[in-house]
Amino acid sequence: MSDTYTFDTKDLKEIENIIAKYPEKQAAVLPVLWYAQDKFGHTDSSVQKLVAETMDIPEAHIHGVVTFYTQFYEKPMGKHVLDVCTCLSCQVCGGYDMLHYMEEKLGIKAGETTPDGQFSIQSVECLGACGYAPMLQVTNDKYVNHLTREKVDKLIEDLKAGKKPEFESMKMPQHVNGSDK
Amino acid sequence: MPEIFIDNIRYEYETPGKVLQFMLDNGLDLPFFCYHPSLSIPANCRQCMVKAGMPIFNRDKGTYEIDEEGNRKIRYFPKLMTACSLDLADGMVIHTHHSDELVKQAQADNLEFILINHPLDCPICDQAGECPLQILTYKYGPEGSRFEHKKVHKPKAVQLGPRVILDAERCINCTRCVRFTDEISKTHQLTIVSRGDKNYPMTADGEEFDDPYSLNTVDICPVGALTSADFRFKARVWEMNQTPGIDMSNGKGCNTWLWTRDNLILRITPRFNESVNDHWMPDEARLSYSRFNENRISRPQIRLDRDEQVPTSWNNAELTFREELDKVSPSQILVLGSPHASVEDNYSFRKFFEEKGVNEFFYLPHIIPGSGDDLLLSDDQAPNTNGVNALGFRETDEAGLKKLIKSKKTSIIAILDDDILERTGLTAKEFSGSFTVVLGTNHNETSLSANLVIPITCAAEHAASYVNVDGRIQRTIPAKETLYTNRRLNLEMSMSRLDHYGTKFDNWVTDANRVDCIPAWEFFTRLGDEQTTPAYHSSREIMEEIAGRISRFKEVSYDRMDDENGIQLELKQNTEVNTV
Amino acid sequence: MSNDWKSYQPLLIPAIRDLHEISVYEKNDGYQALKSILSDRKKWSPENVIEEVKDANIRGRGGAGFNAGLKWSFMPEPDGKPRYLACNGDESEPGTFKDRKIFEYNPHLFIEGAIIAAYAMQVDAIYVYIRGEYRPWVHKLQQAIDQAYEKNYLGKNIQGSDFSVEMYTHMGAGAYICGEESSLMESLEGKRGYPRVKPPFPAQRGLWGRPTTINNIETLANVPMVIKNGASWFKTIGPDTHPGPVLYGISGHVNRPGVYEYPAGMNIMTLINEVTGGIRNGKKLKALIPGGSSTPPLRADMLDGVTMDADSLREVGSMMGTAGMVVLDEDTDMVDLIWRISVFYHHESCGQCTPCREGTGWLEKTLHKINSGDGEIRDLDLLLAICNRMEGRTICALADAAAWPVRYSIDRFRDEFEKKCKKTVYAVA
Ligand SMILES: Cc1cc2nc3c(=O)[nH]c(=O)nc-3n(C[C@H](O)[C@H](O)[C@H](O)COP(=O)(O)O)c2cc1C
Ligand code: SF4
Ligand code: SF4
Ligand code: FES
Ligand code: FES
Repeated sequence: MSDTYTFDTKDLKEIENIIAKYPEKQAAVLPVLWYAQDKFGHTDSSVQKLVAETMDIPEAHIHGVVTFYTQFYEKPMGKHVLDVCTCLSCQVCGGYDMLHYMEEKLGIKAGETTPDGQFSIQSVECLGACGYAPMLQVTNDKYVNHLTREKVDKLIEDLKAGKKPEFESMKMPQHVNGSDK
Repeated sequence: MPEIFIDNIRYEYETPGKVLQFMLDNGLDLPFFCYHPSLSIPANCRQCMVKAGMPIFNRDKGTYEIDEEGNRKIRYFPKLMTACSLDLADGMVIHTHHSDELVKQAQADNLEFILINHPLDCPICDQAGECPLQILTYKYGPEGSRFEHKKVHKPKAVQLGPRVILDAERCINCTRCVRFTDEISKTHQLTIVSRGDKNYPMTADGEEFDDPYSLNTVDICPVGALTSADFRFKARVWEMNQTPGIDMSNGKGCNTWLWTRDNLILRITPRFNESVNDHWMPDEARLSYSRFNENRISRPQIRLDRDEQVPTSWNNAELTFREELDKVSPSQILVLGSPHASVEDNYSFRKFFEEKGVNEFFYLPHIIPGSGDDLLLSDDQAPNTNGVNALGFRETDEAGLKKLIKSKKTSIIAILDDDILERTGLTAKEFSGSFTVVLGTNHNETSLSANLVIPITCAAEHAASYVNVDGRIQRTIPAKETLYTNRRLNLEMSMSRLDHYGTKFDNWVTDANRVDCIPAWEFFTRLGDEQTTPAYHSSREIMEEIAGRISRFKEVSYDRMDDENGIQLELKQNTEVNTV
Repeated sequence: MSNDWKSYQPLLIPAIRDLHEISVYEKNDGYQALKSILSDRKKWSPENVIEEVKDANIRGRGGAGFNAGLKWSFMPEPDGKPRYLACNGDESEPGTFKDRKIFEYNPHLFIEGAIIAAYAMQVDAIYVYIRGEYRPWVHKLQQAIDQAYEKNYLGKNIQGSDFSVEMYTHMGAGAYICGEESSLMESLEGKRGYPRVKPPFPAQRGLWGRPTTINNIETLANVPMVIKNGASWFKTIGPDTHPGPVLYGISGHVNRPGVYEYPAGMNIMTLINEVTGGIRNGKKLKALIPGGSSTPPLRADMLDGVTMDADSLREVGSMMGTAGMVVLDEDTDMVDLIWRISVFYHHESCGQCTPCREGTGWLEKTLHKINSGDGEIRDLDLLLAICNRMEGRTICALADAAAWPVRYSIDRFRDEFEKKCKKTVYAVA
């Protein structure tokens, strides 16, 4: 299998640079896994094997790490992963409503992927955007804040059209009301 | 000397260390799971909690502060401490469940936690009877469980590797197995996967746990989460008999336990010996037990015509042997000692032929270069190479042997337990000009090519000594009865419950598994000339004689080997031939 | 200081456009603290920097509130071998969303603070551990770090001095526990984030076995102003025992949620009613979680005159934590809320310690039972018993953090729990 996944010379150079940041190469396991996931879309067992071989680190170690951290995808996911926060502040501000709305809209349950492989939905823990609840994160990247049904509709349409959300700067209210910004 | 008070009793300690290990060394009880003396200390099971404190030292006065009753004032740590990770400190005060209710409660609480997701399938669990979780729960656990939810389900009966099977639901996440592969065998084949109560140990996807030491994880797993594929469902441990032994499959001489039931060895596990194998043992050595049970030579065998060996009586065997010896001159006898046989057997073998006038003795080392490792596997495949060497047998090899057979016009070849044909390029043809006598434990190529085969006891059946690759002499204790030995009469043999209370009529005790064989030395005692050779009654006597006559074995005795877990011999590089 | 807050000018995140650009930061006195240290090494010996910071009593903003300078002073004498500073940007405690504001709006302030800390403790490299979900902010911080390298505030021979230090970002990958300092180090070393047994403490054996100090991002962002204006100035901000500016992350049922910067010790009711514009939809306040999910919830009637600082919150039986305040209105179902918190801790327990691994799951399952109407009154006692068995018996404080909200909400909102329980009918013999 691991011939389906390979690092080219540019990748290897990049990985070398990552390793150089640390006194011991094992420290580079997380960043290299991130690098691999960016490239391949997941870190399933063949990607784990590739990383283990490339870094010369026991495969079991890589496997243990991948399964410890929730952002590493042990299996291929939908093209767009919608991580909906249902924790504390989001919970009390309608996080579950948003989750259920999306489940209904996409016809899948949290933890599942649409048959066309376009979307996966996950119910996740606090994403550190509690003041902008309810919110979600798109495929380990941009946040979409202050969710409403309309916002969800638009997001899904945009994603289908290949348009990814922009970074949204959530201003400090003090600044908005105050002087400069 | 620094002191520590445990449950109000004062102890002194010399070397720094951890509280739990100190308690274990002093025979004190404290429940624990994750701690293992030869592994790093994760303190994750939280079972060994104690209340700990230090006396309050008044710097100005330079003395300890004293309360109204004249006792030292103690400042306790605000939380219970795990004894496994707590350093001994001068003046430290420890309270265990014996003197503190909170500690007692905490131990029970922790066990209740461990048990909530434990399947409690002890009746069908191989670990039952030797399970720390079972024992500690009985001694320290809660009286019942208040857990009424569905337990977490995890993979069961997973073949982790060729020899180890995992039941992840039974796992208590002590990480001993993972630490073993990281720290001892260094194969790094295991990891804990996932998080929280979904944790369990695993290999990487699609990888086999084929670590040559994998079965050690079965030993150290404190529950039945890891079991031996080989031993699975074979026996309940409490029906078995446990006898100390020495590994025969390798030169390292790992100290072992031989586990018998109904006079069969069912498994071999390591026995702690700091100077040899610590707590460990290679898988290969464990699985070598079948040689003690199977394919054994029972009753002497004699070749009447060219093709076939047939059983014969001991009398006839002795007679034949004497007759053949009488036909030849000593120089025509080729005597091959064995690195696979004990010191006592080799000694009496040599002595017998020496008395017949033979003055050269040989053996073939059994070494496979590169097959060993840095841990417990040596290139040397035999348990007693140093022993046979120290007895004055001279090393030879395949070519040397061929030459000897030719040059001596050899007409008798006497081989002590060693399958020379199998492990060299020699064939039965080379022996065909001579009368071959093999004293052996198991049928093999060499024994099958012999004219006369004398069945001798194996390491599981006799008391005998072996000198390992590092020059340490260690001895075995009989674990299995032969046709001529009896557990109830031999004080050295251990007795299981079945042996004590079972009768011949109990269906689990049969005579079928007793081999018709005797120790090699006993055979030579029978053959020996009563005038010149005093008959030996036991191998112990032989060792006494060896110790008195051969300087390298000076002061070696069974008692010392027993007391000191083996004795390190001074082995010089060049062995000159000893005359006995 | 009741009304001072209205005139308060933010110090950590002032309202200056494009402050994240190094040129803007420099124009606004940025990197001056570092420069003044490097230009007067006699006055600002490493020991003196530590003394000043210690005197300022910057209480760790990561949750434990420990004096940052005092922590720095635990580092052993340099021995020529590597030493490290790890900056904690894991920010995963539910209710907390403030450190990312620093990455976004004023990254150089934090970078400068970290460099000064590195100077004071004479460390060789700074690793900034940031939760993986904050990927967009990791890039923002990395841009700022790159700028600082370009201007030689980082790297070799900083500003022509003999002081050199490197700074790296390190991205987590989804694990709350990695905010715990020893787990953070394990994660930085490329392992599963299992907290380490203490002792040894990080200052003795930290990253790669070498002396290490871990500080929160916001904690370090306070350092430059202490050097610039002095400890005594710093202590005029907020209460004596808990001085300095604080980023309050306020979420939940308020009209204007968000991150606000005010002095420590703000009156809670002022924050809720005035700063954030009160409870939305005209509802009444029911409860407050003052500093992230692990801090014990407080009933509205307990909040009178309580201020956001360690002492005041301790008095009413809670903690300052991360100052991530979750404001809950009268419609909040406390049982549902606490159940969801228990889901979080169950999900995030690393699973090493028996009481935490098993206890967090047991709490969740029992709370679920009560929340779905199948519970009995005795289950409340069981919950408390489980909490008793978890607290203080584990390697790290996650088990305590999981137990506290349960224990204190049963204590403070018992009637709500009882209302959800079935009435147990005792059979009469
Ligand atoms: C379970 C757990 C999670 C934690 N998460 C964080 C976190 O996300 N960010 C943080 O700064 N500190 C966190 N801490 C606190 C750190 O262990 C540590 O005390 C802190 O980073 C020290 O920095 P400070 O002294 O500057 O606050 C956590 C602690 C525990 C026990
Ligand atoms: S399988 Fe056994 S040894 Fe391994 S972690 Fe589980 S309980 Fe411990
Ligand atoms: S308390 Fe929980 S999170 Fe912390 S080390 Fe133990 S199991 Fe892991
Ligand atoms: S609770 Fe949803 S982002 Fe914090
Ligand atoms: S033996 Fe496991 S914590 Fe001490």
